[in-house]
Amino acid sequence: MTAPTHPGDRPSPRTFVSALAVTGVLSALVVCAAVAAAPDSVRAPLAAGAGAAAVLFSAAVATAAHALRTARGTRRRLESVTQDVGRLLRQQARTAEEARQEQQRLIDELAQQRTEFTESFAAERARLEEEGARELNRLAKENARLTGELERARRDRAAAVAATSNAAARMQALATATLADLRAMEDRHTDEDVLADLLHLDHRTAQAGRLADSVAVLTGARSGRRWARPIGMESILRGAMGRIAGYRRVRVHSVSEAAVAGHAAEGVMHALAELLDNAANFSPPTAEVHVYVEEVPAGVIVSVEDSGLVMGEVQLRRAERAVSGDVFELGGLTGTRLGLAVVGRLARKTGLTVSFRPSARGGTGVLLLIPQEILTSPAPAAAEPSAAAPRPEIGPSAPVRQAVDTGAVHEPAAPPEEGPAGLPRRRRGSTLARAERARTTPDTPGHRTALGPADHGTASATDAPRSAAAPAGHGTAPGGTRQPSAPGDAERGTATDTAGQPAAPAAGVEPGTAPGNPRHHASPAPDAPRSAAAPASDTGRVRAARFSSFRQAVRPPAPGTGRPGAAPGDSAPGQSRDRTTDPAHTTAPDERAVTPPPDDGVPAGDSPYGAGEHGSPAPSHPHAYPEGDTTS
Amino acid sequence: MSRPDTDRPDGGRPGMNRPGRDDAPDRLYTITQGRTRTSPDNPFDLVTLVVAESEPAPGMQSEHVAILELTRFPASVAEIAAELRLPVGITKVLLCDLLAAGRVSARHPRRPAITDPDILEQVLVGLRNL
Repeated sequence: MTAPTHPGDRPSPRTFVSALAVTGVLSALVVCAAVAAAPDSVRAPLAAGAGAAAVLFSAAVATAAHALRTARGTRRRLESVTQDVGRLLRQQARTAEEARQEQQRLIDELAQQRTEFTESFAAERARLEEEGARELNRLAKENARLTGELERARRDRAAAVAATSNAAARMQALATATLADLRAMEDRHTDEDVLADLLHLDHRTAQAGRLADSVAVLTGARSGRRWARPIGMESILRGAMGRIAGYRRVRVHSVSEAAVAGHAAEGVMHALAELLDNAANFSPPTAEVHVYVEEVPAGVIVSVEDSGLVMGEVQLRRAERAVSGDVFELGGLTGTRLGLAVVGRLARKTGLTVSFRPSARGGTGVLLLIPQEILTSPAPAAAEPSAAAPRPEIGPSAPVRQAVDTGAVHEPAAPPEEGPAGLPRRRRGSTLARAERARTTPDTPGHRTALGPADHGTASATDAPRSAAAPAGHGTAPGGTRQPSAPGDAERGTATDTAGQPAAPAAGVEPGTAPGNPRHHASPAPDAPRSAAAPASDTGRVRAARFSSFRQAVRPPAPGTGRPGAAPGDSAPGQSRDRTTDPAHTTAPDERAVTPPPDDGVPAGDSPYGAGEHGSPAPSHPHAYPEGDTTS
Repeated sequence: MSRPDTDRPDGGRPGMNRPGRDDAPDRLYTITQGRTRTSPDNPFDLVTLVVAESEPAPGMQSEHVAILELTRFPASVAEIAAELRLPVGITKVLLCDLLAAGRVSARHPRRPAITDPDILEQVLVGLRNL
């Protein structure tokens, strides 16, 4: 390191100049003296030489002086630098010492802190671990508790749903029974006031039944009733209308002949009822709800249009979601808004498609698509829903029964059907199946032809021996053909009967329905719908029997009238529980002999029933069912 | 669903229907739009003869169609009701509708038919046979 030179250390030019001046002056004086002293001859060279020597001398002196001074300055600087170095060295040593101490201190401190930290960390860790364990324990317990609670809640929920479903099913059953009772009462009471009251009750009960159905559907129970035959569209719509409060405001526009398969009919009706109820509830109390039925390739579209509130976007989406049947949870249901959820469930179950759209009437339109899978072509008789419904039951079976009779009288065997007590035994599936076969086999036409006569109601039947009543009817049927077919007929007869009528006797027990056959012959739908639902009442039967006997006695032609006491066994009470067959049944013996005449004989007389097979039906049925109420 | 008639207190008393599988789903009030009364001046009683005056039109209520087909030849109200399996009161409402629309006409049966001695005799025979 070079110490900076002090200003005084540098040899000043002044020193150099002064030394030079002094030396110059002195040497000039010497030279002058020498010159003055010297002879003239040497003066000139002496002066020149001496002058030069003097100059050199002066220069040398000046240089020496300057060098001396410079050396002095340099020495001084060296000393100060040396001092500086010593000072710096000391300082360095001191600093190093301090640093070392600081380092040591820091190391110590660090070590100490580390120890402290380690300790506190360990303590903290232990504490946390303990705390964590405690928490874990608590959570585990909580978890177990919640799991248990969840389990219990699930069980409770399942139990509640099951109980609700059970209760709903019972309510359904009760409502159904009440409706059936009410229907029976409606038939019995002719007073208009009573009828109005009964219908009022009927309506209320139907609504209660729908509510029970809704609850049952939501709780996953089986839907209410199952219909054994296809239900025509008109009946579907009416069945739906009958379950809502505002059915009077519903206007139906339908010419559809389609029918819904029995197993799905209830679901369709219920869904439709909910949609109608929605439409009626969300439109002004005086506005009409219009229902249009349209047949499309995919099935039948029922559109329900109201002129009430238009659903907003959100409501629409919610409704669409509800009816899609994707939501299964019961949460979010309120007691008054079950409808769409029910529709959704039913739609899912029966394959219906429901969609919403704004209605041209200003409200909301709902489209219900009934898929082709659950549609059937209207059964020959079911096409005419309510009015015609009763007919098929008697229709196909009645003629057969007649054949059964005749066959049975001749061949009391009819063996397979007879139980030990001589009572016929119902055999469910097999007989039906066999009946079906029997019907298609070539020899069964025998019974068909046997009916034919009755259908045309030829008068000859009346004269024919009783047993031959059926074949004699058409007159062309050889006895031989009838006989072989008789057993088959018997079988079929009972088979058909068993569909609706448990104790249908095979032989001669229910000849009475014969009169019913003529007009129903054309519609051989082999089910006996109402019969199962109409158990006979003894009093009703007796009354009806009396009435029909009376009636037949009154009829003019009937040459063979009476045949008193014929086959008393026929009317064995309790044989048939079927109310529809009862009256006829009890009156059987006479009836068969006599009834044909009304069919055909009447034309001869001046009775209003004149003319042919179409007029004839009337007499046959009345006593089967309604007589009870007309006479009561 | 259990058949409730087994535990019904009256044990299925006479005239009560068992809730059957196969009743028609239509309730009576839906057939008549809730009407049960006919105007007092309606011409129908049980024996009134009804004759159709027109063919059934498409879109008609099935009961109306049935009545028109049934009365192609004269039929009494009682018979129509029996055939339709409807109470007479309901049938009368339907008939009144048809009458108002001019689709049927009504007349009462002739009296002499009943006073015919032959018929009376047959009645007697019939009564004896009971």
